[in-house]
Amino acid sequence: MKSDFDWLFHAKILEEKEVMIIVFVIFGLLTLASVLFFIIGKIKPDANLNELKTRTKSWWIMALLFVVTTIFSTKISYVAIAFLSFLAFRELYSILGFRQSDRQAIFWALLSIPVQYLLAYAGWYGAFIIFIPVVTFLLLPLRLVLRGDTVGIVKSMATLQWILMLTVFGISHLAYLLSLPDIEGFKAGGRGLLLFVVFLTEINDVMQFTWGKLLGKHKIIPKISPNKTWEGFIGGIISTTIIGYFLAFLTPMNAPQVIIVSFLVANAGFIGDIVMSAIKRDIGVKDTGNSIPGHGGILDRIDSLAYTAPTFFHLIYYLCY
Amino acid sequence: MLLKPFILRFTYSFLMRWILRWIIGVKWEKASFLSDEKQFIIIANHNSHLDTITLLASIPARILPKVKPVAAADYFGDTPFKAKMSSYFINALLIPRSEGLTAIRQMKKALDEGYSLIIYPEGSRGNPEEEQALKPGIAFLLSLCPQVKYVPAHLTGMGKALPKGENLLLPYESSLIYGKPRLIESSNRDEILRQIEDDFKILKSAALQN
Repeated sequence: MKSDFDWLFHAKILEEKEVMIIVFVIFGLLTLASVLFFIIGKIKPDANLNELKTRTKSWWIMALLFVVTTIFSTKISYVAIAFLSFLAFRELYSILGFRQSDRQAIFWALLSIPVQYLLAYAGWYGAFIIFIPVVTFLLLPLRLVLRGDTVGIVKSMATLQWILMLTVFGISHLAYLLSLPDIEGFKAGGRGLLLFVVFLTEINDVMQFTWGKLLGKHKIIPKISPNKTWEGFIGGIISTTIIGYFLAFLTPMNAPQVIIVSFLVANAGFIGDIVMSAIKRDIGVKDTGNSIPGHGGILDRIDSLAYTAPTFFHLIYYLCY
Repeated sequence: MLLKPFILRFTYSFLMRWILRWIIGVKWEKASFLSDEKQFIIIANHNSHLDTITLLASIPARILPKVKPVAAADYFGDTPFKAKMSSYFINALLIPRSEGLTAIRQMKKALDEGYSLIIYPEGSRGNPEEEQALKPGIAFLLSLCPQVKYVPAHLTGMGKALPKGENLLLPYESSLIYGKPRLIESSNRDEILRQIEDDFKILKSAALQN
């Protein structure tokens, strides 16, 4: 007899054993963390775990969101990633102090988000890769010029295009991973690649933070980010590369390739992190917003992702597709 | 008449809450404490039409039909159609801006009938993120109804999302915070005005720290 939930049991993700393994690992880690904090909270009631607790809570939300969107349909994943781009883009232009005469150009830039993600969904690589770097790059200044306010127009042109590159062009590479063609003998597919780069990026953040807390002494760039140390950086990159090696089954790469790619992704994540820190120093805010509890704004979560997504995408595109 | 509370609740407590939160990017505290007050006057700064929409969306659905934003009759009621729409979709209390005494009398009457009010004592929408001097009408009204509590509210970013004189609504991270409901401490109108100004200053610095 055909059950009502047939579609669920035949959902593609359940057949992708590789993806399921890593999903279980993520939920296992989260459960472990939650239980650990609960027990520590019982034993040592005065230990201050609020920050860590809210962080774990946000991870739960994000992991559930990720799994739910990928189980139901990849179409929802495109929409969800596009919405993430929108939130990050909105957060940035809201804090960067644009002029009132920039409003129409910002609106045009917002309209480019659905276009970019439709191109990713359609898998039209040629258009996807030039739409923001070429088309909006040429057209957004036109909208600013049409409004006719020239005082400070150069700053607006440059800033608007730059944040569009960071939050929309960069992040949209995650969506394009889902549109990559099938490779024979590689079952995890686009979902596997997406999971690989997101998991590796977040693990890299956690590892750099943990190693820095444990051993951190020598500061790298105290003017930008006083918590970043050489010990944290090196420890993080080594751990991330090792973890990446063990996650190779999510990608079609061979061992040497996955080691080099994980190493480069870890570096990209670090760069994204400090670039965003520098911006926050410039505008004088600590956290960019508070959309996800305990995590600062959306941007504080995806700052490294905006760098790792295009890095990973182009490496794997060159190596395997 | 039965339709109106339904329209208001659907528009603000459901539709607008969703749009403001996810599309525009407005953050607000839960205003559930307003349910505990029998009657109140919300006093807020004014930079955009979004101010009223956000305030109405933040109010608990149960008491929403009993809250009337005070609006200028020459703007929101200049045609009978517009007046009808303002009544149905904003639940507005239209007052003539040029005749101060009539306006006060109308607001007093609404309070006597048990309605709560939303008042912008700056009078009209100012430039984005700028405050204007308060008009004395609010002090007059409060001195006539000293038993009604007022609730100061501070909105940021609204003038950036939808400034005066622009038609394009742009998503923009903005916020609404409430102060505590308070009674006036004096019957002198200058002192009432000063009390409100002080509340506004405290709320403004609290909003900057968020």
